[in-house]
Amino acid sequence: MSSRTTAALLLTLVLAFAGCGGANVKLHDPTIPEPLIDQMPLHVAARYPEVFDHFVHEEEIIGKESWTIDLGRSNKLLFTQLFGSMFTEFTVIEGDMDARDLDIDALIEPSIDAFEFSVPAQSQTEDFAVWIRYRIKIYDKEGVQIANWPIAAYGKSLATTFGSDEALQRAAILAMRDAAALIILQMDKATGISKLSEARAKSEPDVPQPLNLQTTAAEDMRDESL
Amino acid sequence: MSHFSRNAGPATASILLALAGMMLGGCVTQRVENVRETATGIEEGEGVVIMAKSYHLGNETEANFIACVGDSVGRGASGLRVVPNNEFVDALFPWFEPRTAPAETKGLPALMSRPGVAEKIRETGVRYIVWLDGDTDKVAGGGSMSCAAGPGGGGCFGFAWWQNDANYQASVWDLTGLEDAGTVSADVSGTSFLPAIVIPIPLIARARAKACNALADQLKLFIVSEDPV
Repeated sequence: MSSRTTAALLLTLVLAFAGCGGANVKLHDPTIPEPLIDQMPLHVAARYPEVFDHFVHEEEIIGKESWTIDLGRSNKLLFTQLFGSMFTEFTVIEGDMDARDLDIDALIEPSIDAFEFSVPAQSQTEDFAVWIRYRIKIYDKEGVQIANWPIAAYGKSLATTFGSDEALQRAAILAMRDAAALIILQMDKATGISKLSEARAKSEPDVPQPLNLQTTAAEDMRDESL
Repeated sequence: MSHFSRNAGPATASILLALAGMMLGGCVTQRVENVRETATGIEEGEGVVIMAKSYHLGNETEANFIACVGDSVGRGASGLRVVPNNEFVDALFPWFEPRTAPAETKGLPALMSRPGVAEKIRETGVRYIVWLDGDTDKVAGGGSMSCAAGPGGGGCFGFAWWQNDANYQASVWDLTGLEDAGTVSADVSGTSFLPAIVIPIPLIARARAKACNALADQLKLFIVSEDPV
């Protein structure tokens, strides 16, 4: 074997081992498809925690490797897209805004309770798996909490099919899609959010009022609630 | 130039030997079966989508196996129209996600009654959903081989072998009648050998690739054939 071949062999080995040292993985603003659902007739606002603007999670396998996943603002995009599809009217509000000043039926505050992932070196399988535990708090228009709903989402991707980085990215995206599917499927059952539209219908007068009077009455009602 | 030729000789011979080994391949046995529940058939404009059973149900089917079956079913003179599964899943979001996809045909009527689902399926032209289940596992292996490399050269000596079993099952759902049309299964067992006297010569049995082609060929016959068995 020539020295050139030996060098090439050694280089291959070095590169192969370099690939075992973990990685930094970044999600580039993934989106979910437009869901095939009927919208709920509600005016909903969402307030996101600061971490939704830049979420980074690191997983260290002691003595082996360190993996970092940067979700960026993926969570913000996910929930904005999801709630925008689920409700007839949807607004995102800033952290310092008082939701009671708005003409809404509900305020939703999603957050992340926990984010975990496992890589093949940990699970002794060929899978990358991601678990995300979200928490959804819902408040009515008067600021009373009506639901505190934890959601566990899961995504899995094979390392042999995709490269390691891509497999972890894919597992994270699948977990986020799983959360979206779960929210679509169970949100109303778990939180009773649609009842807020019934509550609004009941609070609205049966006989139409003159426009200026109705507006005043509505404003008065909001002021009283504060 | 002459220096290059002197070094290239053994290297070229090694590559040729390795290629010859790959072409020879290992030993493969395969069994393909189908069980038909109803008559099938496909009209012009109708297509199929190849999907993996949910990992929530413990399925481990590899994404590249699904892609392989999709390619093979769509290829050739008797190829069927295959709708890419990611397009289908996205178009019907969230009803074919791993958590929400129906596990049995009895879930189909409820799914079709959801807003927009039946229309979207009609739009995609999908007549059959093929659900793939199964995986390829290494079930046995043995032998030993040692390799050494130094400044003066290197090489390997020994013999290794391993056996891979590729067991896959495809359930065919007919979306016209909302019923189970039947199943096609492929069980392929392949033993690969790696003898080495200085140069390792891989004799690889491609069990997964064989299973993919066998399953795809049988699926095409199963779907196109109109007669119930």
